Amino acid sequence: MQRAKASPAKRTLGALKGFFSKPANVILIVFLVALCFLTLYPLILLVGETFTVHAGREARATDQLVGAFTTYHFDKLLFTLNDGGPQGFTLSNSWIQFYEPLMNTLAVSVTASFIAILFGGTVAWLVTRTDMKYKKFVSAVFVFPYIMPSWTLALFWQTFFRNTLVGTGTANGILAAVFGVYMPEWFVYGYFPISMVLGLHYAPFAYILIGGILRNMDANLEEAATILKTPRSRILRRITLPIVRPAMLSTLLLVFASSMSAYAVPVFLGSPVRYYVLSTKMMSLMNTYPGQGYIIAAVMILFGVAILAFNQKVTGSRKSYTTVTGKSGQVSLIKLKKANRPIAVALLVLMLLVAVLPLLSFALESVTIKAGNYSLDNMTLEFWIGRDLDYLDQGDSNGILLSPKIWRALGYSLLLAVTCSLVAGTCGVLVGYGIARRRGSRLANAVNALSFFPYLMPSLAFGAIYLAMSTRIPLLHGFVLLALIGSVKYLPFASRSGVGAMLQLSGEIEEAAVIVGVPWWKRMARILFPIQKSSFLSGYLLPMVSCMRELSLFVLLVPTSNTILTTMLMQYSEKGWAQFGNAINLLIIAVVLLINLLVNKLTGASIDKGIGG
Amino acid sequence: MPEIILRHVTKRFGKTAAVDDLNMVIEDNAFITLLGPSGCGKTTTLRMIAGLETPTEGEIWIGGEKVFSSQDNTNVPPNKRDVGFLFQNYALWPHMTVRQNIAFGLENLKWDKARIAARVEELTKMLKIQEYLERYPSELSGGQQQRVAIARTLAPGPKVLFMDEPLSNLDAKLRTEMRAELKRLHVDTDSTFVYVTHDQLEAMTLSSKVCLMEKGVLQQYAPPLTMYLEPENLFVADFMGSPTMNFIPGRVAAVEGKKVALHMLGAQLSFQAREALPSLPQEVVVGVRPEFITLNQGGGLPGKVYSTLPAGMETTVRVSVADSMVTSVVFGGIDYPVDSPVNLGFTGENMLLFDPQSGKRLAMGSL
Repeated sequence: MQRAKASPAKRTLGALKGFFSKPANVILIVFLVALCFLTLYPLILLVGETFTVHAGREARATDQLVGAFTTYHFDKLLFTLNDGGPQGFTLSNSWIQFYEPLMNTLAVSVTASFIAILFGGTVAWLVTRTDMKYKKFVSAVFVFPYIMPSWTLALFWQTFFRNTLVGTGTANGILAAVFGVYMPEWFVYGYFPISMVLGLHYAPFAYILIGGILRNMDANLEEAATILKTPRSRILRRITLPIVRPAMLSTLLLVFASSMSAYAVPVFLGSPVRYYVLSTKMMSLMNTYPGQGYIIAAVMILFGVAILAFNQKVTGSRKSYTTVTGKSGQVSLIKLKKANRPIAVALLVLMLLVAVLPLLSFALESVTIKAGNYSLDNMTLEFWIGRDLDYLDQGDSNGILLSPKIWRALGYSLLLAVTCSLVAGTCGVLVGYGIARRRGSRLANAVNALSFFPYLMPSLAFGAIYLAMSTRIPLLHGFVLLALIGSVKYLPFASRSGVGAMLQLSGEIEEAAVIVGVPWWKRMARILFPIQKSSFLSGYLLPMVSCMRELSLFVLLVPTSNTILTTMLMQYSEKGWAQFGNAINLLIIAVVLLINLLVNKLTGASIDKGIGG
Repeated sequence: MPEIILRHVTKRFGKTAAVDDLNMVIEDNAFITLLGPSGCGKTTTLRMIAGLETPTEGEIWIGGEKVFSSQDNTNVPPNKRDVGFLFQNYALWPHMTVRQNIAFGLENLKWDKARIAARVEELTKMLKIQEYLERYPSELSGGQQQRVAIARTLAPGPKVLFMDEPLSNLDAKLRTEMRAELKRLHVDTDSTFVYVTHDQLEAMTLSSKVCLMEKGVLQQYAPPLTMYLEPENLFVADFMGSPTMNFIPGRVAAVEGKKVALHMLGAQLSFQAREALPSLPQEVVVGVRPEFITLNQGGGLPGKVYSTLPAGMETTVRVSVADSMVTSVVFGGIDYPVDSPVNLGFTGENMLLFDPQSGKRLAMGSL
């Protein structure tokens, strides 16, 4: 009697024991729970915040207690379409606070996506399919803008083109001061420069994705058409483009999503002329009407989710294009003939403009005493190495290389970057292992989707919801909070390269070790990791570099703006201490490039490997 | 000594059964092949015995020890089953040299250094790969990689060796060579081999017993020659042998004791059964191996040569008789002119009668 009763329970217990005896299952379950807590739970909190009265203006406006339920935020932000005044809709609160920034966001993101695809795609095609000169150099320098912080170009654009006739009009930039050329406002601030700068910044992304497909595409596909006497232009149109189309669409969507959440670029190039996008609007609302800020955050996340879902659907069908074997490497390159040198030189010049000139300009600005005057007697190294600079009435009392504040922030930034990279990278490897081993199972799919989820959360919005979460969980503040959000936010990079690397390894490679009784950790450490070392290390590198130059993710969460270099830069720039800002910017870029170079030289891992996978 | 027993082993992936209620005993020291078309569950079976895959139901015993049972949740991990596994694509660790590949498992078993070195020496000598010890797998040819994989698998001295289509990545010549070596290895290592292949010739030549599966169901489990000459059903008869057996439709005209009057190939033939006959359906399928059809050696069915494929040692001739086409294999290289008339004869005692409905063998005998 007793035996019969115990048997089914014992069986379930045994089944559970069997299930958890496989490391892949344990990993997946742990990550399922953890990721639910780290991504879904904050999302629920965020939605809650949009219905909650916060202290300050909100409490006064609603005449309700702090913490009470309210639909005030939605009413105010989305449905205040006419304030009753004679100007009607275009001056209503909802238009100014929400619909106009939304329109601007969409316009900027769409334009930026197309610029990125056009520029990056063309360069990818030139590098992989033609006999253009200086290819090596071009492909090395082209990824520069992606490695550098996104505002680099924006800051450069501003310092280069600004003049006294537009925007706040405080000083002349290099172009106006040295050459006397005054660019019109639409060129210096607002829609056009923001789109351009974002497009150029994400062009390397398009280059890496599309170039990867083009490079690996079986040349036989094109050769087969050549044999059938198809003209080059027709091959490009009917064979090559359709094959890279999924990659192009994917790039389009990802650049769109990234542009949408960009914060620093519209701050530099939009705020001076009161050109707002969702991200900048949300930031300003956070300090006044947080409830409405959270609504914008939710809207941005919704956009992100929709875009990613669409992308999944598109790239899901990409599998049918797996003619990408990389078997025949002999691609007959298109001869550019006479056009070769002009194209190559034009590209080089453009490259210098985008990648090198900004650095020079920062260097120049960081040594100029009075903005707009570029004569030698107006220059000083004081901002770098000076002491007791109070006579300048600017920011710090010491040059940045002698300022303990700067060094502290650099140390903090580095520590944060290393921590995030270690956590995210290691989790990426583990997630990759779990997903690859249980490929196709519902559990693996769920973890896969969850681990990619942070990617489509706009950084600023993600920061906002972690802010909401940190008020509820006592341990979650300071470094722990920053490290946690950084690790979660960059997990997608790491998990993608982890999954990719693990899927390339046949299960038999591991089973050959299982048979001889090698324990799981030893299989990971001695067999799986070493074989795919460079892919995994890319999974570590990408979070580190991204974290080092991250601003929008942390800007809401840092205890003080002196905490990390990027927020410090932002603070200095906003206060108009341009020399310090430029100097700090150079410092960040130098550190990022140095890390990249170091890791690349030591291990062979590189940024483009991580994204391309 | 290891005898492997499978009882009611079933493996389901979702709703489809990859292996369905498999019962089988693999005797100690046997060389068993699991044979079948791709997707028939042979690899799954092998992996279940090795412990790399968990059966949905059933029991598996190795050497008197219960290693798996769905009843009481026994599931001994692969490394405790004292087995070796040779993978189809070798699964050599690309970042380790030949020596490291072979030694890695032994280090793991906590062998001391001198013993490992001696074992590596012994194996590489046996498999003739001594000069490649410090090379990486990518620097070896397919055949050499294969030998390294074998050495690695044999290193801990497993009592049972599982092989999953180990020769399918080799070219035809090397494959023949390796087959001979595997057979020799079986004797030398004194262990039980379980071998998966879809190549019936490999199964015929290598094994002491063949297990033929289709869609997860065991079709026949017997020594290779029995499988070849006395197939249980049409599937087995068709799968074994190349060129394949002739399946000639026939009609039973009369039955008299062990004698059957058959109407086939436009003629009246008499079939003499070896054993007592069951009741026969009216329509039957007569199975005749190509080598049991003679050409121009007396006998009387007139036919016409459709095509000739002389291979040197033997010649495969397609002959059209009445409305059908039959294949004959004759010894020697004779180039029959196309469309020339020939006389067909039947020889031997291994003609088979099948039930076309169930596919089951009804009788064996001579024509």
